[in-house]
Amino acid sequence: MIRTEHLTKVYRMGEADVYALREVNLEIKDGEFIAILGPSGSGKSTLLNMIGCLDTPTSGSVFIDGIDTASLNENERAEMRREKIGFIFQQFNLIHTLNALENVALPMFFAGVKRKKRLERAEELLVNVGLGDRMYHKPSELSGGEQQRVAIARALSNDPEIIIGDEPTGNVDTETGRAIMDILEGLNKEGRTIIVVTHNAEVAARAGIRKRMRDGRVLD
Amino acid sequence: MRDKFLMAYRSIRERRTRSILTVLGIAVGIAAIVALMSVGYGMEEAITSELTVYADVIAVFPGKITGPRYVELGGFTDRDVRDVQRIGGIKSIATMTYDAAEVEYRNKRVPIFIIGGDTKELGSFYLEPVGLKEGRWLRENDYKACVIGYRVANEFFSEKVHVNDKLVINGKKFIVVGIFEKGSMLYANDVDPHIFLTLRATKEVLQTHEIKHILVRVYNIEEAEAIAGEIKERINANHGLDDFATAMTMGSVIDQIGTVFTIIRGVLVGIAAIALVVASTGIMNTMLMSVMERTHEIGVMKAIGAKDSDILSLFLLESSMVSLVGGAVGCGFGVIVAEVISFCASTALGIEMTAVVKPAVLFGGIAVAMVVGVLSGLYPARNASMMSPVEAVRYE
Repeated sequence: MIRTEHLTKVYRMGEADVYALREVNLEIKDGEFIAILGPSGSGKSTLLNMIGCLDTPTSGSVFIDGIDTASLNENERAEMRREKIGFIFQQFNLIHTLNALENVALPMFFAGVKRKKRLERAEELLVNVGLGDRMYHKPSELSGGEQQRVAIARALSNDPEIIIGDEPTGNVDTETGRAIMDILEGLNKEGRTIIVVTHNAEVAARAGIRKRMRDGRVLD
Repeated sequence: MRDKFLMAYRSIRERRTRSILTVLGIAVGIAAIVALMSVGYGMEEAITSELTVYADVIAVFPGKITGPRYVELGGFTDRDVRDVQRIGGIKSIATMTYDAAEVEYRNKRVPIFIIGGDTKELGSFYLEPVGLKEGRWLRENDYKACVIGYRVANEFFSEKVHVNDKLVINGKKFIVVGIFEKGSMLYANDVDPHIFLTLRATKEVLQTHEIKHILVRVYNIEEAEAIAGEIKERINANHGLDDFATAMTMGSVIDQIGTVFTIIRGVLVGIAAIALVVASTGIMNTMLMSVMERTHEIGVMKAIGAKDSDILSLFLLESSMVSLVGGAVGCGFGVIVAEVISFCASTALGIEMTAVVKPAVLFGGIAVAMVVGVLSGLYPARNASMMSPVEAVRYE
């Protein structure tokens, strides 16, 4: 379960304080599929980064399975990201010097999984997202949709409970976007918690829960 | 670990041109060190190897060496020789006398240094290392025969001197029975411009009984210094002077040469070190640029679970791989350059010299390259590992 308490993030821009998040209290139960909507600058991505342990709050807390992530050090946060969270980015963010298989295996590499086991699992994950025949291609040789599917496979490589998507369909066409949402829905049915930030109403409609944000606050 | 190597290798290959230039930068520095050291060792060995044959020799002169100057204070007497003979631990003694004489050949007169001594001992000191080009060596009963140096035969007179030609030395006729080969570096001055006679003939020609040079061979090289000291003491006592005789062991000469070469090598390595410092700023620059270009990638790796230490080790590995290759290439270059320099030097100067490539120098070269690589990679790698993941991911 994920819970935020009075979660606040302030960025200092010159002389002025900019509130990206103000006192956000949110609870996401295990196995929920939640979409966060809102205009640019409303704090969606900041919230996602806090939940994903990429960033630390100015005040307040984020609890993941009862652990206050703000109290963790850099290494413990890295471990948390590695073991419990899978990231899917709008820009795919694959490592361009590595092929699809190696990209998917990379989180397992950081987790210290043995090479053979790593490559076996990466292969299995790529077959599952329909890329069994594109494993040895570099990201530059793959289409946007294919790259995003590699990214999804990578997010799953350490079998995390939580999948975080920051506009996962933002850089692909509608058709591909639907296919990606199908995969995410499937992962949710397996019991994983899915948190997606989006502009897209159609994408949001597929989520079980929708939250709107404005000016660093969660509405509804 | 294998995968980290692979990742580092990929990213090196990705920036191929820049990596090659960095490798070259280090290679030049290491090559300079290896080449200069190897040539230095080669020179030292060329000199000392000729000298070590004489490690058991003590040379005794009637005079004093101060710095580069030698002041002759007269000659040794027969009593000096007898006193020296009585010292324990001495294997053999050779006495020599020498002086300039007027030598005539086909109507041309030239002053030439005459060296006379026991034929056997002269032979072991000059004949063995230099060798004869023509003819034979002196025999003890050769009163009218001489052996001449290479320059005497080829340069001193308007015509070349051959075996069986006659030379007139201080008015007395001598037959040339042998001609020396051209002496190598160490012997060029000792043999090439001289004429060698038996001791008896020398005394007659030079009208002197003074002994100008005593060569002593000892049984035990370890005792050479002590024996040299005793020789000096006894001869000085005979002449009532504190500094009449100089007794020099070859061992001490070799040590002195060793010291000089250690200093020379130090200076050469110092110069080469400057090249390395330049190379290390090159690595640091390459790595800093690499870190900057890959900020986004570093952020992504952190987002998917890489720890600071993972990033640090990846970048350190990359810089040390580049410098390892640079070190190895540099060693190879260095050896080639050293061989070329030695070859040119031996052809140009007419000395026998080969570069001495010591394994320690090669290992040292690679080790230095690695240290330079790790040190200059440390700062950029730390920069990379300390990046905030969220900012790094956002960086385009």
